Amino acid sequence: MAKNRTAKALKTILFYAGAIALCAPPLFVFVWMIMTGLKTGVQNISYPPEFIFMPTLENFRAVFEQYNFFHYLMNSLIIATLATAISLVLGLPAAYSIAKYRQGKIGILILIARMTPFVSYLLPWYIIFRYLKLIDSYSALTVTHLIITMPMVIWLMVSFFESMPGELEDAAMIDGCSRWQSFLLIVLPLMRNGIATSAIMAFIFSWNQFLFSLILSGPQTKTVPVAVYNFISYGKIDWAGIGAAATLIVLPVSIFAFFVRKSIVQGLTMGALKD
Amino acid sequence: MANVILKNLVKRFNSVTAVDDLSLEVHDREFAVLVGSSGCGKTTALRMIAGLEPITSGEIFIGDTLVNDMDPKDRDIAMVFQNYALYPHMNVRENLGFGLKIRKFPKAEIDARVQEAADILGIHDLLERKPKELSGGQRQRVALGRAIVRKPKVFLFDEPLSNLDAKLRVAMRAEISKLHRRLGATIIYVTHDQVEAMTMADRIFIMHKGALQQTGVPMEVYAKPANRFVAGFIGSPAMNFIDATLVREADAWYIDAGEFKVKAPAAFNARLEPYAGRQVVFGVRPEDIAAHDPAADARAGNTLTARTDVVQTLGAEIFVYLTCGAHSLVALMEAPEQTLTEGQRLDVDLKMVKTHVFDRETSQTIV
Repeated sequence: MAKNRTAKALKTILFYAGAIALCAPPLFVFVWMIMTGLKTGVQNISYPPEFIFMPTLENFRAVFEQYNFFHYLMNSLIIATLATAISLVLGLPAAYSIAKYRQGKIGILILIARMTPFVSYLLPWYIIFRYLKLIDSYSALTVTHLIITMPMVIWLMVSFFESMPGELEDAAMIDGCSRWQSFLLIVLPLMRNGIATSAIMAFIFSWNQFLFSLILSGPQTKTVPVAVYNFISYGKIDWAGIGAAATLIVLPVSIFAFFVRKSIVQGLTMGALKD
Repeated sequence: MANVILKNLVKRFNSVTAVDDLSLEVHDREFAVLVGSSGCGKTTALRMIAGLEPITSGEIFIGDTLVNDMDPKDRDIAMVFQNYALYPHMNVRENLGFGLKIRKFPKAEIDARVQEAADILGIHDLLERKPKELSGGQRQRVALGRAIVRKPKVFLFDEPLSNLDAKLRVAMRAEISKLHRRLGATIIYVTHDQVEAMTMADRIFIMHKGALQQTGVPMEVYAKPANRFVAGFIGSPAMNFIDATLVREADAWYIDAGEFKVKAPAAFNARLEPYAGRQVVFGVRPEDIAAHDPAADARAGNTLTARTDVVQTLGAEIFVYLTCGAHSLVALMEAPEQTLTEGQRLDVDLKMVKTHVFDRETSQTIV
């Protein structure tokens, strides 16, 4: 018995040691980022780094006042929301038909579009959007973000749709539904978790997207990751400003993800097991 | 209400023929049971009637209407599924009313019909619950209810009882039979369970490898199977089959199985004539094997000597697994006064008039 208990305790200790080892590096970076935002410029470049200091919110104020950060936050919000919404509206039916009619080839094609290095899109896109006079427009950024968000939605949702028993739709069709009605009234309500997961993932990926915005945005439509990048100038690097801005960028998605973490975990493990 | 006619119905999945030239007619208000082992095409046939599976060729009529190209929703049918297929996000009331709501029935009419179905099935207390809060039997009732409220021309049942435990299944069998009488509806019921078929059906349609083997009222199918498959499928425990040869002797035809030889009744003679000396399969049901009656006429030639292998007591009856040389037989007989022991010698009489002889090549019934 005693031996058993020791083994169990050892297992628990090893589990938590492993968990900490895995979580520590990203958490350290996270904490470092927040601390940077709370320190003054001088404190940030002092060596050895100070871990105990008087936190200041001055940087956060500066970010909003000097850099018009609120405008960029709104830009990011608009683009990420639009990209997520469009990829749900188009991606859900697409994922459904890939799952339902076994269109694996189309699925792969979509995946290829996602896997192609984004840099290779940039030049043609820049040329096209310049001709269309769409550089520095929400539409250009939203459309380009779809290449990130749409495959996200489709690939997550395919496994959700595949896990749904076909008899439910059969029942709906016999009850009087058309294909569309059964999709809208029966299938989608049952996919709430999956839709929430894919929407959050799509939103986060769009929110964090840097490269497209760097090339295709302008003063009007600059998104937050690009705005932060502009804190780095020839003369100096505003570490405190970057820390504060980065914290502000991460904050909304972190809070959001915290509240829906259950459905994300469920969503990401879905399809692995049929119940 | 309506009859259902299938004409030369074929379903192929790539190279596999699931339903092979199936023609049958289910009469108005009839309880028809499509029975067969799994993979025999019965569910595919049902799904084609429902419109859930495209037809490769052939025609389906419901009433006088050719429904081949009609959507399921326009066929005026209701279906009860094996896994109930209740909508998990709706409560029982919404589940029952969904079909009516989608067809834009007025609210009052929906409420009235849901009430009526709940009355019939005794599920009043469950109306506000979600499917996951129900037991298997309750779910089955709700699934039945969802079909009833629609008042369709034809009810389709796809193995509705196979997920229930044995006791509940027996109860639901009686209930569905009652429901059929009450609704006076045409029902097509698919099952792999021959007991369900025998107990519930007005007529049984037996399928095997995509083709219809025999149609008839339960007792007819039991007493006069069309071929060896039907004979083995209907009846529990299954019929015993023994390879044998037909031989003509002075007074009669004999079925010679090597280890034993039994005399065929005179009534069989005409049918056996063309098979003289041929290889056949002799079939005898377990319930047609009884312990030897010493008072019986010794010239009947229906007695054989066997050895008991396993004896299983059911109560009033016993199963006896017999070996007779290389042949094994199952007998279902009345429990004798003297307990049978395993491995003892036992003489048994066969009820020869109830036995069957099948062509070994074609498997068709000779007699």
